[in-house]
Amino acid sequence: MHHRSVPDRILEGFNMLALLLIGFVMIFPFLYIFTVSFSSLSDFLNNDFLLWPKQWVTDAYEYILSSNNFLRSLGVTVFITVAGTIVNLFFTATMAYALARPIAGQRFFILFVLFTILFSAGMIPTYLVVKATGLLNSIWSLIIPVAISPFYLIVMRQFFLNIPEELHDAALIDGANEGQVFWKIVLPLSKPALAAFGLFYAVMHWNNYFTGILYLNDPSLWPIQVVLRQIVVINEPNSALGSTAAMLESPPPPETIQMAAILLATLPILLVYPFLQKHFAKGVMLGSVKG
Amino acid sequence: MKRAKGLSLLLAGILLAGGCTSNDTASKPAEKEKDPNKKYTVTAIDFRFGDPPPKDGAGLKMINEKFNVDYQVQFVPQADYQEKLSAVVASGDVPDMVGFEPVDTRYAKWAGQGAFLPLDDYIGKYETLKNVPDHIWESMKVNGKIYGIPTYYPEADLTPIIRKDWLDKLGLEMPKNYEELKEVALAFTKKDPDGNGKNDTYGFAMGEKINPDFDMGAYWNAESWLHKDENGNYIPGMISDARKETIQFFADLYKEKAITQDYAVLTWPDTNKEFFSGKAGIFVGAPRGMSEAYYAGLLELQPNAEFAPLYPFADPDGNTGYTATSGYGGITAISADLAKDPGKIEKILEMMEFGRTFYPREDRTPDNKEFDWWWGNEGKGYTMQDGTAVLDPNFATEGKTPSTYYVDNAMWPPNEDVNEFYKDYKNEKVSSLAKELEEMHKSTKHYMNPVNGLVSETAQQKKEEFDQFLFDEQAKMIAGQRPVSDWDKMVEEYLNMGGQKMIEEYNSQIKDEEHWK
Repeated sequence: MHHRSVPDRILEGFNMLALLLIGFVMIFPFLYIFTVSFSSLSDFLNNDFLLWPKQWVTDAYEYILSSNNFLRSLGVTVFITVAGTIVNLFFTATMAYALARPIAGQRFFILFVLFTILFSAGMIPTYLVVKATGLLNSIWSLIIPVAISPFYLIVMRQFFLNIPEELHDAALIDGANEGQVFWKIVLPLSKPALAAFGLFYAVMHWNNYFTGILYLNDPSLWPIQVVLRQIVVINEPNSALGSTAAMLESPPPPETIQMAAILLATLPILLVYPFLQKHFAKGVMLGSVKG
Repeated sequence: MKRAKGLSLLLAGILLAGGCTSNDTASKPAEKEKDPNKKYTVTAIDFRFGDPPPKDGAGLKMINEKFNVDYQVQFVPQADYQEKLSAVVASGDVPDMVGFEPVDTRYAKWAGQGAFLPLDDYIGKYETLKNVPDHIWESMKVNGKIYGIPTYYPEADLTPIIRKDWLDKLGLEMPKNYEELKEVALAFTKKDPDGNGKNDTYGFAMGEKINPDFDMGAYWNAESWLHKDENGNYIPGMISDARKETIQFFADLYKEKAITQDYAVLTWPDTNKEFFSGKAGIFVGAPRGMSEAYYAGLLELQPNAEFAPLYPFADPDGNTGYTATSGYGGITAISADLAKDPGKIEKILEMMEFGRTFYPREDRTPDNKEFDWWWGNEGKGYTMQDGTAVLDPNFATEGKTPSTYYVDNAMWPPNEDVNEFYKDYKNEKVSSLAKELEEMHKSTKHYMNPVNGLVSETAQQKKEEFDQFLFDEQAKMIAGQRPVSDWDKMVEEYLNMGGQKMIEEYNSQIKDEEHWK
């Protein structure tokens, strides 16, 4: 370690301070949610600005966990996220790889994919397709129709194009077939991309609520975000009678319950982040540069 | 917006096609013999504010057994109901029973396109349908026929309440006019009504969209069509001179910090927090549906808190009273496809009749077989506490009662006076507030909004946009960012946006009769 000059140190100190401040701004909302969720309602009402529970109260959690609704829908979401992400990665990677190989009609298929980025069908036609394929009221309706994101597909194809052709040729000479090349050589080399897109897909599934309501008639299949929204953002005031009714039929649940629900619904996906983060920059950047 | 437009076009097409076929079948007299033992499959869709029951709850099985049906109902969270219903209907399966929110204009639209069954001939046959007042049946009419059954909703709605203990502490009387109300709000702001020595209280707890309305009677209400323009047309309260007065009133108070200062960005739960943390002295309450948890929170902080309703002020017209609600909280329509199956229609109406039957308080006990069944049997769906039946906290999420599976599950009382909603509250102070609110509504007149149940094409397309514009401008006026003297300009702008057209569309349908009841 060589000796640093004074201006350097000042700059470094300043940087540290700024980063700490930014870090605090990021953490603060979570801290606030955490604190409120463990406070009593009267402590919350009495204090405009709580940074740490005055007394630890677990009422809100007891309330949420007293009906098995919350946990069940959390389970549903975990399933959709895990199964959905596996399906996503499998189909996205296989199709992207196929389109990265010199196959007949490649251009046609790529344009076909691009077309869906530009023009989406809209809610009702998609609903009709889901219904006609018998997926209605099945948990797979949240997975199959979104199996491939065309945008991620294109980026992943670009990533595959960057893998040197020589590797492929060498493997073929050694007696591998296309499937083996994909499985044993290309996929292991693509871990960063898979991790990055896996996370994107996982977050997409985790945050999904609308198609859950649209395609699933059975409330016991609803993902956690539906339940969360019921608890947190239900009462939007409006002058129309319908909304006055909303205020009265279901008065806003106390904030402590809202915050506990937010925390419980966010924590699991939040815990996945740090483990995938290292792959992030690498995965996305590699795919974006054409070699 | 764009999506909604394309969607309605598509719907219109599908419904027209569907409507034709059902007319064909209706024209041939449906003479299938009625078999009382036939097991019908009854499908239904409806919205829910809270938690919907599961697909296989005990309450559902009870319904299937009692009525010998296979009842398939799906409940959709209220916020997403519009879109889900559109998709379901567009897919071609109109469920046997379709629930609508009272403000859902598609009820009238689809009924007009022949999607639903006219029910006029059935209404006389069922007791609970006879309890529905004529003006509400009027609201159900589309092209002269009734296509929907209204769900009960009390006419008394959210109206202003005040911290009585603060009034007493400061030696103030209940305000009787806006002048006195202003004095009270200022005193709440400046004279330390909670006696904690800090300047931390104020008058009105208010949130975004100038909510609650804080009208002190229908005359000042933003939604009531009570005032007329120079051509004799009814106009919405939002652009009336009375509204201008209240906006000026709020602007004056805002300057003195007697209104929540950041009201423009506060949501309904935020506004609740302002009042129930004991910071504000004036808020709203209703006989039914107040949150006991919030009141309990406030009473823990300020055990001496007392609440009282604010009585409506005498308006310059000589009337006194708040605006009544439309009087219904939902509409149930029956699919036109059922025209070929009268037995099924009767089965559905028989089921509905059961759910709409009113039981007086003293009959809501296990001794009353019907009630006991309706609430899922004592010990399972509800328990008796101090002589009052109290629903199990998880009755809805676990589907313990038949009532929770009903599209229309509100008893329709023979009159408003027998409801006694105050008995639903355990907390004494909340209960007595509810009782006083009920008494106030009983003893004052109510204005029946003449546009209730009327359909205006322009309102369907643009009412939200209009309201947003007016709320924005009026919120600016309260905060002093736009002078209240700009009022006429704002109204002019509103009329040109399409407000004039909406006014004309409504006025062509409004009946000139006595609207005060």
